[in-house]
Amino acid sequence: MKIRCLLVLLFSATLVSSSFGEDVESRLKTLEDTTAKVTGLFGGSAMTNPYLSLIVNTFFYHSGLSQSELDSRTIPGFTNVPPGTRKGFNLESAELFLFAPVDPYLNLYANIPVTEEGVELEEAYFVTSSLPAGLQVKGGKFKSGFGRINGQHPHAWDFVDAPLNYRAFMGAEGMGGEKGIQVTWLPELPIYLQLGIEALQGENDLLFGPDAKDGPHAFTFFVKASVDFGDSSTVLFGPSYVAGKADISTIADGTTFRGDTDLFGFELVYKWKPSRGRGFVLQSEYLYRKQAGDLRTGDPADPASTLESLKRAQDGIYVQGLYQMDRWRIGARYDVLDPFKKDFILSGTQQDLGKQPWRATGALEFNPSEFTRVRLQYTRDESSRDGKADNELYLQMLLGIGAHAAHSF
Amino acid sequence: MRTTAIVLIALLLSAPSAFAKVKVVATLPWIGSIADEIGKEQVEIATLVKPNQDPHRVEARPSMILATRKADILMYNGLDLEIGYLPVLIESSRNPGIQPGKPGNFDCSHFVTALEKPVSVDRSMGDVHPLGNPHFHFSPARILSVAEGMAGALSVLDPSHADAYKTNLEAFREKVRAKQKEWSALPTKGRRFVAYHKLFEYLAADFGFTITAYVEPKPGIPPSAAYIERLIGTIRESRPNGILTTPIYGRKEVDFLAGKTGVRGIVIPHDVGATPGAQNWFTFMDQALSALVK
Repeated sequence: MKIRCLLVLLFSATLVSSSFGEDVESRLKTLEDTTAKVTGLFGGSAMTNPYLSLIVNTFFYHSGLSQSELDSRTIPGFTNVPPGTRKGFNLESAELFLFAPVDPYLNLYANIPVTEEGVELEEAYFVTSSLPAGLQVKGGKFKSGFGRINGQHPHAWDFVDAPLNYRAFMGAEGMGGEKGIQVTWLPELPIYLQLGIEALQGENDLLFGPDAKDGPHAFTFFVKASVDFGDSSTVLFGPSYVAGKADISTIADGTTFRGDTDLFGFELVYKWKPSRGRGFVLQSEYLYRKQAGDLRTGDPADPASTLESLKRAQDGIYVQGLYQMDRWRIGARYDVLDPFKKDFILSGTQQDLGKQPWRATGALEFNPSEFTRVRLQYTRDESSRDGKADNELYLQMLLGIGAHAAHSF
Repeated sequence: MRTTAIVLIALLLSAPSAFAKVKVVATLPWIGSIADEIGKEQVEIATLVKPNQDPHRVEARPSMILATRKADILMYNGLDLEIGYLPVLIESSRNPGIQPGKPGNFDCSHFVTALEKPVSVDRSMGDVHPLGNPHFHFSPARILSVAEGMAGALSVLDPSHADAYKTNLEAFREKVRAKQKEWSALPTKGRRFVAYHKLFEYLAADFGFTITAYVEPKPGIPPSAAYIERLIGTIRESRPNGILTTPIYGRKEVDFLAGKTGVRGIVIPHDVGATPGAQNWFTFMDQALSALVK
């Protein structure tokens, strides 16, 4: 849209400079009319350009720990992957989104985050628009429909970072883009009920590992149901499940694990929007992960390396609430691991991994317009069990330009 | 056996039969109201946005997806007013009949000429609609064009009732003409107003009054204290006939300005159903226009 406008402007400017004496006004008018006639689903634009938008996610980070302590900060028994945040200024990414209908049957989306490390292809997928009976197929590389935060882009999260159970079971960005195919079905029922299945390559570093098995080996199933209570309240809930083969080295440094992964989830969202400027959202997700297989400590090629059986059955939950008042929003989140189940059974023996990991977070947001968000966030982080506790402070800025992408619920 | 199954499936998947009502999903209340005038007992209308909601800031609820899933025709305002939720609704509805380009995708703005189409626009100007001011439901002439479009679209989807739609359209046209006479007789011409948001431009153009200033410094951007101070000066000096706002936003600022300047604050329903008594498009227009000249 914007690009088109710019082009028109540039073109008009050339006209103005090159054709004195001509009726520039009327020519401008004609141009304007011809461009405005070509309107599409996502707003007025031409077919030659896909809709483009760029979202910049940048923040300042301060922690009570030193950088080297941060770089080795793990969640013992869950993951050895540190959060990867630098003290001081961070540029998370500039995310490029492209989308457009391909033809009357398919829409195409691509999400290309550009970071200082390089360019990624986080997502590139098609979605069908014209299948009968409430069916929809998505294919390519996309974010799984498992759970809630998983399907959202980091800029749409309600806090700077993902909750602990996501970090512990899927990594700091959730499952991320996975290659595969998804089929969802929305039956014609009195209430909203969406059922979905996916076959995925299964490359997540914590759940599956890139070399786990010949793909596809990860399969998901999820249900999302929703009911409205009056004009202002909506509830969305449903279970999710993913199972796959694991070949991972993220349990502890110097180890590799081979086996099977099952991850269960349950999401619950309550939204209350009584009037224009005001609103409240309560959201929670419970995750339960089972892994069973063999843990090798040391280099697999080294005969001195040891092989033990490992069974992990662990869980985690977060609860967050956000209250909006005009351009301001305040939020609080509590996330904890091992709330109900903390099996880490190595060679038949339950391991004592130390204190229960938890965090508490508060955030204050100011949204000057729909396209800018400034967020101040404080986190008390006790996620490293018997390791040091941390106090973290973020000042984040999110900015979006280009096509106006519609947000899902 | 197999043929029976195929026939059954075909029946299940087929378009509504001549006996079923046409399921209309309207985004905004005024669209539902016009669809009701044209469709009458042949249609069944679901309206997605409630009258107490700001049409600029609607979030897609799953129940809206479910409603669009079942729709035979989706009717929307257009001019990007629904850009924040409609594309996701259309895609998530998994309803082939309402996809862009299909007879079940009805963009009301295709039947009107928009005002204030900017030649150049960027977001430093605030929430400016690049395709023009989208609030054309205050313009009787434009509503009549939309109604004609609706009658055509409904006849395409439901040809067996084409005559009924034509009759309803004629009745609607007559009613608008009669009302138009009544409305034009109101002394709105030459009046000057200040408005909170760029919402009443079509009303001004059709009924001969002017909007001299806005309480919002830029569309969608709330005013700062300093801006309000300056506006108080302007209003005291120019003495407009009133300060216009809606029941859902701008009330606080307009009440404050009215109190400071002695110029009357006027609450105009922004859509059908937004105030008690404005239950259809005619009574909504009655209220809007009579509020101006009270």
